[in-house]
Amino acid sequence: MYLRKSGFLVAAALALLAVPAAAQNKSNLDVVKQRGQVICGVNTGLGGFSMADSQGKWKGLDIDMCSAVAAAVLGDATKIKAVPLSAQQRFTALQSGEIDILVRNSTITLQRDGGLGIQYTGVNFYDGQGFMVAKKSGVKELKELGGATICVAQGTTHEANMAGYFRSRNLQIKPVVYESQDVMYDAFFGGRCDAMTQDSSALASALATRNKGDDYMVLPELISKEPLGPFVRRGDDQWAAVVRWSLYAMLEAEEKGVTQANVDEQLKSTEPLVQNLLGVKEGNGKALGLDEKWAYNIIKQVGNYSESFERNVGQGSPLKLQRGLNALWNKGGLMYPLPLR
Amino acid sequence: MHVISRLIAACAALAVFSSLPALAEATLDVVKKRGQLVCGVNGELPGFSLLNAMKEWEGLDVDYCRAVAAAVLGDATKVKFVPLTADRRFDALAAGEVDILARNSTGTLTRAAGGKVRFVTPNYYDGQAFVVSKKTDITQASSLRGGMICVLKGTTHVFNMDNWFGVRQLHVLPVTFETPDKMYKAFFGSRCLAVTQDATALASTMVRSGRAGDYRMLPEIISKEPLGPYVRSGDEQWLDVARWTHYAMLEAEEYNIRRNNVDDKRRGHEPLVRRLLGVEPGNGKVLGLDESWAYSVIAQVGNYSEIYERNVGMASPLKFARGINALWSKGGLMYPLPLR
Repeated sequence: MYLRKSGFLVAAALALLAVPAAAQNKSNLDVVKQRGQVICGVNTGLGGFSMADSQGKWKGLDIDMCSAVAAAVLGDATKIKAVPLSAQQRFTALQSGEIDILVRNSTITLQRDGGLGIQYTGVNFYDGQGFMVAKKSGVKELKELGGATICVAQGTTHEANMAGYFRSRNLQIKPVVYESQDVMYDAFFGGRCDAMTQDSSALASALATRNKGDDYMVLPELISKEPLGPFVRRGDDQWAAVVRWSLYAMLEAEEKGVTQANVDEQLKSTEPLVQNLLGVKEGNGKALGLDEKWAYNIIKQVGNYSESFERNVGQGSPLKLQRGLNALWNKGGLMYPLPLR
Repeated sequence: MHVISRLIAACAALAVFSSLPALAEATLDVVKKRGQLVCGVNGELPGFSLLNAMKEWEGLDVDYCRAVAAAVLGDATKVKFVPLTADRRFDALAAGEVDILARNSTGTLTRAAGGKVRFVTPNYYDGQAFVVSKKTDITQASSLRGGMICVLKGTTHVFNMDNWFGVRQLHVLPVTFETPDKMYKAFFGSRCLAVTQDATALASTMVRSGRAGDYRMLPEIISKEPLGPYVRSGDEQWLDVARWTHYAMLEAEEYNIRRNNVDDKRRGHEPLVRRLLGVEPGNGKVLGLDESWAYSVIAQVGNYSEIYERNVGMASPLKFARGINALWSKGGLMYPLPLR
């Protein structure tokens, strides 16, 4: 209720202010430098992606993305503030300037990129929508879900994807829509639905964090492409570039074998592309409006993409996800950093 | 208090995101008003952009321009092609001489960040390679040490070459040229031991010269060269049009929608296909285009596979395999973000 009201007011403000003050075209980069902190909108709790531990410290692949930007801009990966947001709140929070970056396992789609006053800045995880069922149900394939009750979260792309998938196959389903992910998990594991749908990574995360691996399983079929990535506000090319190239720097570091452990040694590398990456050869920092050490700081304090992946969602984590589509381009995946030169 | 602070934040946000593009008229409106798209192209590169014997433009980049014209104007023929040199291309784009640059240009950090132009997305994943005469017995790049290498001025190629040889504690002597014509003329005149450019450019020039049999491409690909269009910074509506036009061609390939079956597909029931072709409205409105924008692209130009095969693939003299330019589901890197 409150959200809807303020959302309306924001929309009204946007509509009324047709002629903005010309002087205020400061990039969010300057705002963040002045504030000394990067404010990221994150998931309220998605193991492997963004989750507060028992000490209240946020961890996950999305949190690392946020920390990487803090390291790049402020030289200190700890200078982040994580703002947990529901699926419905997330885009309004970004539009209104409440957060600097939305990094909340959000699918990049045409209508979001073009229509909400926001823009995507790269894919940090290639995902797809999947379905979870109880093992005792005996269900092995999606087509067996005809007539089933399916738990789904509100305000996501999942509801429409699912409706389209089953409609085009002439199968009836009964969606049960939940406002929050946790309420949905409680309902599903409490036996409210025959199946639950979400991105397959999120389902894996729910299995791991709720210890349900013995009784539940994720079906192998994915019904959609769900490229997840950070979003920033539209019209701020400089800030978008900082976020985009922070991700590419983590990927390029992996490609060049630069790790958290060896980055200091790599400063002495004679390989020019490594020198570019680490700022030994100047230029990239200046183009981005950052210190030339920006990428060095990311790798030193957060690590390369492989390190972040493995500890959060890969073999060093309870999720044990394979790299799959998220491997580097020269190792069978889709991760291809544009050249940092 | 929350509502008020949100309101204030929203106003500040608005000032940020509307003041930048306000500097100039939106390119989309300019193109619609003009009724023609002005596309900066290479003009001398078979397979990518070239005037053929019938004085018609053809190539992968040319077809991309036509696709943008089909999306924006509903007519793929409404394009004016402006050949630009490597040196001038970004200045010409920044100055507004062209609406979009589709000129086999690599997307790099220093070009794409903080400057006057913005990289759209790769429409061809390429890499830099070397060609030598078969009269030499050179079969690997390291054997080029100490030799003169013909290379284009104002590109990333000189830099990459210095890097690659530098790491191996070797060096070569770059001989730079303003245009590919001059460079290849010098190379065919034995001015250099090798010529270097992106593999695609080398191959297409060799084919065009009719002397492909006398030359050999060395196996090393020494760089990532993701080639793609650029647009001016600060005009995100136009960036979106440019980006999603490419993705529409890829998505069409993914759903097997081709020039010759797009009308049938339009009558089908697959939700994502109906969305792509505008039967289910929404995408067009968001982009500021007619809802049949992607239908027009596919009906008039084709899907990505069609433009690939006829320009650089098996139906062309170049005979390039799809390689890393295959769809993501077939071992390549081409992954259309979802058009929904």
